[in-house]
Amino acid sequence: MFYRRAGIRHTRYQDERQLFPLGFDRGLIIAVIAILLAAPFLFDRLYVSGYLLPWLIWTSAALGLNLLMGWSGQIHLGYGAVMGIGAYGSVHLVRLGVPLEIAMIAGGLLSATIGTMFGGAALRMKGIYLAMATLAMQYVVDFVISHSSVISGGSLATLQVPAVRFLGIPLQGDLPTYYLAFGVCFVITLFMLNVRRTSFGRALAALREKDYAAQILGISTFRYKLLAFWVSSFIGGVVGSVLAVTYLRAISPDQFHIELSIQILAMIIVGGLGSVLGPFFGTALILFAPILLNNLLGFTAGTLGWSLPIDLRAHLPLMAYGALVIGFLLYEPLGLAKIYANFRNYLLVWPFRHAQR
Amino acid sequence: MSLDRRSFIAGSAALAAPLALPVQVFAQEKIVRFSLPQDFTRIYTFVTSEYNQGQRDYFTLVNDRGGVGGYKIVADITDHANDLPRAIEAYERGKREGAVLIDPLSTPVARALVPRALEDKINMITAYSGRSDAADGSAFPYVLPLSINYWTQAGLIIEQFKKTEKGSLKGKKIVFVHIDTPFGKEPLPILNVLAKKEGYELTAFPYTPPGNDQSAIWPQVRRARPDFVIFWGAGVGQTVALTEAIRNGLPMDRVSGSVWLSESDMDVVGREAAKGVMKVEPCVGGREPKVIKDILADVVGKGKGAGPENKVGTAYYNYGVQMATLMVEGVRKAAEKAPNGPVTGPWLNEGLRSISNFTAEGLLPPTTITKDDHQGGGMGRIARWDGAKFVPITDWFSANQDVVWEEIRKNSDEFKKTGK
Repeated sequence: MFYRRAGIRHTRYQDERQLFPLGFDRGLIIAVIAILLAAPFLFDRLYVSGYLLPWLIWTSAALGLNLLMGWSGQIHLGYGAVMGIGAYGSVHLVRLGVPLEIAMIAGGLLSATIGTMFGGAALRMKGIYLAMATLAMQYVVDFVISHSSVISGGSLATLQVPAVRFLGIPLQGDLPTYYLAFGVCFVITLFMLNVRRTSFGRALAALREKDYAAQILGISTFRYKLLAFWVSSFIGGVVGSVLAVTYLRAISPDQFHIELSIQILAMIIVGGLGSVLGPFFGTALILFAPILLNNLLGFTAGTLGWSLPIDLRAHLPLMAYGALVIGFLLYEPLGLAKIYANFRNYLLVWPFRHAQR
Repeated sequence: MSLDRRSFIAGSAALAAPLALPVQVFAQEKIVRFSLPQDFTRIYTFVTSEYNQGQRDYFTLVNDRGGVGGYKIVADITDHANDLPRAIEAYERGKREGAVLIDPLSTPVARALVPRALEDKINMITAYSGRSDAADGSAFPYVLPLSINYWTQAGLIIEQFKKTEKGSLKGKKIVFVHIDTPFGKEPLPILNVLAKKEGYELTAFPYTPPGNDQSAIWPQVRRARPDFVIFWGAGVGQTVALTEAIRNGLPMDRVSGSVWLSESDMDVVGREAAKGVMKVEPCVGGREPKVIKDILADVVGKGKGAGPENKVGTAYYNYGVQMATLMVEGVRKAAEKAPNGPVTGPWLNEGLRSISNFTAEGLLPPTTITKDDHQGGGMGRIARWDGAKFVPITDWFSANQDVVWEEIRKNSDEFKKTGK
């Protein structure tokens, strides 16, 4: 209906090769970007710093993990620790007076180095065994951070992020922090959109399908498995430092525990493994469904004058949330991104019914 | 699965429904809004339920009596599940709705909210949670623990041990069993300094979180032949620690916990078996205090209670009432200073920080909050479990505050240097 594919004839290779060949898709993306850019001026602060900011940050992290899990098929249960390394690395550097731009990259490199070391396990292990190895990484990193007071920051184990500047702009208030998170998310998304068209991306896909088959095809599994861990951990480290600087503002070890890893894992599974759009949807669902359901119940109970016992009041939204996640995955095991794709396919051929190829 | 027309329409309708929830807007009456996002579902669970029940019952009592200083208290309660995005959303929502005080009752959440609360000038209550150095009001004007922090609690316990040993701990052996998290390790600096000062020997035994298996630790504790044992944890770790202490035959009258020990824990451990164990009491427990009696008569008795009646007067319930009385006293003081408001964070802050010698009709130790001291004087008492209830064995007292404040200043100075 909206897409108007009829009559589109590409006359140049560039047109054929662009990320979004359909005009409507391009328009939609531009509209979304425009709304996100204007968001601090359009919406209340609650929605910008309470919803959009964490959404962008967590999405960036989920994209990084999706490169590893969705593209190259390597399970990672310690992504929270990877982000923690980046966050601690960069915050310590910033506290020592290193500019944030450099500290962010350095945090990413630190994560990449340590992440690749643990990723080395992937050379020998697959599937559930690799999951255990990365889980071990999570606990080792947690342990090291909380047991060395030099890293965690004294007896209170809280490390305050000092006032910082990014490209000369002081990161204070809602605007600069939001735009930094947006910028990082934008760059990572762009990278993820393009990576699957590179030889690197195709090598990862080959690895995912069957690693020894890939080796037979001449793709060095040694190199590309480590590279996948390196790139994904680098993204995780950078996002970790963005998380610390723009959102948490004070970091402590418990913020990067297994809960964070599982949360991000859930985001990409619910959103859709190996999709770029998926993490955006998955993050929104995992982060905000509990909040919205909670507020919805609170509002309904308030208007209708129900007096629910507080325990029930707190647990009902969680039950609904669980049902929602299971429901979405039962309806479409390939994730929310696939539901969107179905929806798009439906509109692509509307008013005809069949979009299957 | 492909999409057909029916599910397309049904799906769109389902999606559109819960979007854009209206934010409740109240008519402009004289109210003071508190935001109480707390963790009911993840880690603190029953602690929060009881604490929150106490708070709500007290607010009901105050409101039914016509409010305080002409103001009614409105408390917004929600669940943040110890999850930062949820807590920060709740904080922002509370701020937008005009809340002037937030009580997250969670250390990780409080840590993340400190910079925000200081920036937005919203009073954050961090009772028995958050940063211990927030006791220094000059560094944290809007973060108010209003209660004895963990360093003070450790100081009180050591003082009690000293009294038991007739004034000297020289050559005694004190074992500190703690959960291996920053929270568990927090009292260590104080215990170490006091070890030097008092001449006792300190051995620390960490157990891995969450502490549901401590069977490897406690035989070592027994073998160390301690004169006293302090155990430090929260939630499930506490009952496991006590059970193991009993199983290893440690003398229970020489074992003490922090404020995190309640009747509910005793039910798990066994009321008889745990006889003799000590804890720090920051406020009076049980149903004797006048405030609790009033709540029983005027709130619970009239069917307006916020939760099950048998929880009224339990330890954590009373902590909730304790905090609520302090918050309400803050409102009263603020209304005294500026009766017509406007109700803002700084308005309430003035009130909270001028609470002096407040005892809530016998529920609290005399508490004085000043612009420098947000801890309220550092008074508490030690209570002993007698098989049915906690019986105080000391009067309100304060101890080792010099050491505690040295540690507070050390940390808050560090915060002042880098925190801004």
